[in-house]
Amino acid sequence: MTVSTQFSRLRRTFNGLTGGWDRIGTQAQFYADTVKGIGDAVIRYKVEIVRLIAQMSLGVGALALIGGTVVIVGLLTLSAGALIAIQAYSQLDDIGVSALAGFTSAYLNVRLVSPLVAGVGLAATIGAGATAQLGAMRISEEIDALEVMGIRSVAYLASTRVLAGVIVVIPLYCVAVIMAFLATRVGTTAVNGQATGVYDHYFNTFLNPMDLVYSFIQAIAMAVVVMLVHTYYGYNAKGGPAGVGDAVGRAVRTSLIAAVFVTLFVSLALYGQSGGLNLSG
Amino acid sequence: MIVVSLQSAARPLRGSGDFFAMSLDTFVQMFRPPWAWREFILQTWFVARVALVPTILLSIPFTVLTTFTINILLVEIGAADFSGAGAAYGTITQTGPIVTVLVIAGAAATAMCADLGARTIREELDAMRVLGINPIQALVVPRVLAATMVSMLLAPLVCLVGIVGGFIFSVFFQNVTPGAFAAGLTLLVGAPQLIVALIKAAIFGLAASLIACYKGISVGGGPQGVGNAVNETVVFTFLALFVLNVIATAVAVKANA
Repeated sequence: MTVSTQFSRLRRTFNGLTGGWDRIGTQAQFYADTVKGIGDAVIRYKVEIVRLIAQMSLGVGALALIGGTVVIVGLLTLSAGALIAIQAYSQLDDIGVSALAGFTSAYLNVRLVSPLVAGVGLAATIGAGATAQLGAMRISEEIDALEVMGIRSVAYLASTRVLAGVIVVIPLYCVAVIMAFLATRVGTTAVNGQATGVYDHYFNTFLNPMDLVYSFIQAIAMAVVVMLVHTYYGYNAKGGPAGVGDAVGRAVRTSLIAAVFVTLFVSLALYGQSGGLNLSG
Repeated sequence: MIVVSLQSAARPLRGSGDFFAMSLDTFVQMFRPPWAWREFILQTWFVARVALVPTILLSIPFTVLTTFTINILLVEIGAADFSGAGAAYGTITQTGPIVTVLVIAGAAATAMCADLGARTIREELDAMRVLGINPIQALVVPRVLAATMVSMLLAPLVCLVGIVGGFIFSVFFQNVTPGAFAAGLTLLVGAPQLIVALIKAAIFGLAASLIACYKGISVGGGPQGVGNAVNETVVFTFLALFVLNVIATAVAVKANA
């Protein structure tokens, strides 16, 4: 095939524009395939799903040495909860309502901090790990080998990971929320010296069980989006060993943005404009 | 048998020791000529280019979410006019530094580690050592300085995008008076808080780039190795920066009080 050399600059610009458009298309197609493959994965690849759940909750390599995904996400929300204890308490104390520190924990931790921080933790641990694994498989042509053997590679590699991610996120998110509550409570009562009874009273008064359920929905939605983005970048890695590292970086960037936008839209949809908050009881 | 288990137990310790050794080397080489100006400018541009779009795209939803949550509370207690104060306070003291953490750890550090890891895998660093060039001086120092500077420049951008986003959301969606929003901006936040935000950003950039460079130059083990190194970079920088943020906030609250 001969390539015309006329209008090369124009053509390059045009290809750049259509290339971006094409990428969105192939990405959407991959996501549709992955979601479609979940049924196949549940029926045919149960063992693989169980293996991935074990691997994701504990982590691999150096990450397993420091306690795995659960500990990492727990530590992240722990420090975020401590932040609320420090910042909110000092601010409330300034206007003389430090008794409401328990309220800030029940309100901000559930609605804002835990979903966002857990989403970030998911992208960094489970997500980036999946990209690194799949990318290495693509580079060493293992994915092509799977296809040759007649195994549906998208269902076997991507759908199983999305499913495993959603299953893992549920206990993981429990740990995250408990850690955030614990950090704020210890920070407020033990460090700042508020009476535990005061803290617990306001915390229990304003902790809305429905908010916790919504917060779980946010976490699950984020897990789906993060796993889809990360499996896409890993599955389509190219360019040798350096390409895998590049793919992990790009996947983290994309999934962070996607996860935060998902949290935003889900919380706008669930809480509505009025916010469903009844301070007067 | 015992030797093997002892070695595997000592591995994390050895890793952190190596990391501190490299950091020390970096600080020593930072003040020793020749300075790699060209690499510094190239890296500054590289980090800025990688981090700019994620910064803007992350700070918009973050602020809208924070403003939304705080405004619900303010409307409930009948103080919607103070939403400007809430938005400015949330953005400058917390959202700004946290978005900077996410961008620096998630975008800049990953790209930096992937780039350095690729060079290590291609044995470019060994080649430099053979030529008598110190890779710490030629590659790590300019990267660390570039990341610190870009991180300091990104923090104001995050704050700016955050406050503008909070203004648009409060005024056009939650019907707050624009004048009241603007008047509330400086109620709780002043120069000290802004300076603290900048210092925090500089610390984040420094720590993240040191971790990224360490992980990048100690890559090994084929295709999975580079991927794992980038993965570990994200995790370790997130952990380190979140803890640093807590400490810096505690110090700032005590210092400002």
